[in-house]
Amino acid sequence: MKKKTDRQKAKLPEKSGNSPSKVTIHKIPTGVRGLDEILGGGIPEFSFNIIAGSPGCGKTTLAHQIAFANATAQKPALYFTVLGEPAMKMLRYQQQYSFFDESKLGRAVRFLNLSEVVLEKDLDAVLDEIVRQVRAANPSTVVVDSFRTVVRKAVANANELEMQSFIQRLAQFLTSWEATTFLVGEYDKEEMRDNPLFTVADGLFWLSQVAERNSIVRKLQVIKLRGQESVPGLHTIRISDAGLQAFSRTLGLLGTRAKPKRRRRLSMGIPELDKMMGGGLLEGDSLLVAGPSGTGKSALATQFIAAGLRHGEPAIMAIFEERPQGYTDRAETFGLNLKTPQENGALEILYLRPLDLSVDETMQAILDAVERIGAKRLVIDSLVGFEMALAPGFRTDFRESLYRMIGALTRAGVTILSTVEVEDTFTAFSLSHYTISFLTDDIIRMRYVEIDGQLRKVMVVVKMRGGNHSKDIREYVITDEGVVIIHPRTTQYHGLTTGIPERTGSSPPQKAEASPEPKAK
Amino acid sequence: MSRITPKIRELSQYLIAYETKANKRLETNTPEAFHVGEKLRPHLTSLMGNVGFSALLSRALALANAEVPWLRAVRVRADGSLERLDEPAAQADPEQISEGSVVLLAQLLGLLVVFIGEKLTLRLLRDIWPKLSLDDFDFDKGEKHEKEN
Repeated sequence: MKKKTDRQKAKLPEKSGNSPSKVTIHKIPTGVRGLDEILGGGIPEFSFNIIAGSPGCGKTTLAHQIAFANATAQKPALYFTVLGEPAMKMLRYQQQYSFFDESKLGRAVRFLNLSEVVLEKDLDAVLDEIVRQVRAANPSTVVVDSFRTVVRKAVANANELEMQSFIQRLAQFLTSWEATTFLVGEYDKEEMRDNPLFTVADGLFWLSQVAERNSIVRKLQVIKLRGQESVPGLHTIRISDAGLQAFSRTLGLLGTRAKPKRRRRLSMGIPELDKMMGGGLLEGDSLLVAGPSGTGKSALATQFIAAGLRHGEPAIMAIFEERPQGYTDRAETFGLNLKTPQENGALEILYLRPLDLSVDETMQAILDAVERIGAKRLVIDSLVGFEMALAPGFRTDFRESLYRMIGALTRAGVTILSTVEVEDTFTAFSLSHYTISFLTDDIIRMRYVEIDGQLRKVMVVVKMRGGNHSKDIREYVITDEGVVIIHPRTTQYHGLTTGIPERTGSSPPQKAEASPEPKAK
Repeated sequence: MSRITPKIRELSQYLIAYETKANKRLETNTPEAFHVGEKLRPHLTSLMGNVGFSALLSRALALANAEVPWLRAVRVRADGSLERLDEPAAQADPEQISEGSVVLLAQLLGLLVVFIGEKLTLRLLRDIWPKLSLDDFDFDKGEKHEKEN
């Protein structure tokens, strides 16, 4: 019998079905709304990151937000300032943001000035000073702002090796000390290829300002993030009193809540229209109301909201053209009270009109409002106004953005009515020049027609994805009750959809109209 | 018109009294503001660098000069420390010296309040003098004496 070899004697680990578990990389929050989602959950702990971009993009604000979000007295954030924005000014301006917690200053968030060391000494001395401070404080987060200034002398002296060695040692030391590091600097994208800093970095966050005609939009790109999947592309960021807020390019595409199989029919607030729609609008649908100016789209939208409020369904009206007061006043002329629901929190009228909005910001504002009041109905009045409120750069992909927005809102269980102004050409029956009708479940078209020497109004339900609907073209008027459908369908004309129908039946005796329709305010 | 409010002046006096007590065994010729300045210097230079602190202190000194003549014989060194020059202008009676200290420190505190606000100024001072109760100077909490009443 053969002797057992040493290897056989030593008990080898048996192959198990369970492979060794991979390391868990914890993620630290950025404190920036929307950014953690873009990053895939947050910033990898102990990573070495660069926040780069041109002046005024929000680099320092982002670094501050991260520092304040993660710093505690036990695991502070060390913020090294170097010849950039003077510390006094930094404190002066940054305290304006709501994330700036003055109680953290000094203990949890410590600002340290490296200017003299950088100016008077070499990179070894800079590293020694950082090492000294880090050893003493044991920080969770380290920021160097601006890092470009730290290595400027070495770059000017063309001492690339010194700089490379410094970056390597700094990265190794800070990672070993379990600090998540952010180097802030003004860089051009062209520098990425030759600068060793970008090779060493685990994460690279690029901030920029994109000019389109007269509007400027801030963007963020995650160029690199080791160890996790982030959302690619350029994401809109905005700086407000709360600091930075990021809007993922894919905002609204997530979430899988399907529409329930049995959905209620919601009243439009116009009984005849409910009948035309087979009992009302299906809950969770997106309805497009298209028509030229003055046909009563906003009135119809107001009646839709008021009907919901009567049934205890909170609502949001996102308006882009008229002011909220105008809406409330007009509703009053129809006998609809929108003031009380606004006061008791059942209705919010969002007036969104800046000219540099992004769809994502608008979507976020609406989603926030929906969540705030538990809204079931939403009116967007109008899509044309909405497009006008966007920064020119966002108008080009308005359709795609709208698709995400409507998807996100209907998935949230909201029933949407959007209005869109279309031109009546009197020869064609266009639904919307945006070609966005594919985004909606249902379409109602309102238009002017010339009948018996009068310019009257008709409407038709063009499409209802969720069920059958009336094919009738019905005449309506706008009275002190709002939109009121008056006559049953007429069979005495053809070509009503062109706006200039031809009479096919006998002409009834003509009676002059006694008085015009009451004009809405 | 001086930007020093009664409250800032009171705070200045309070800090000087505290540091004078702590430094009573040290040389008596040194104006009290110098001791307080030395206590502030490492903290503020670590925050804003020597250059930043020196600039701020120089501005405070310039403002204080207008109120207390003997301070014209004081200069700020590059490292942010204060130096009293051996000049005739530096000669003053103890009361004037003391008043100069209060005004100089009050101007410095006033500048801090202008730039970073009252809350952050008090936060910085609390870090420097952790044993000192500065609650009575919390600008949001009203006047010190009101609190006592």
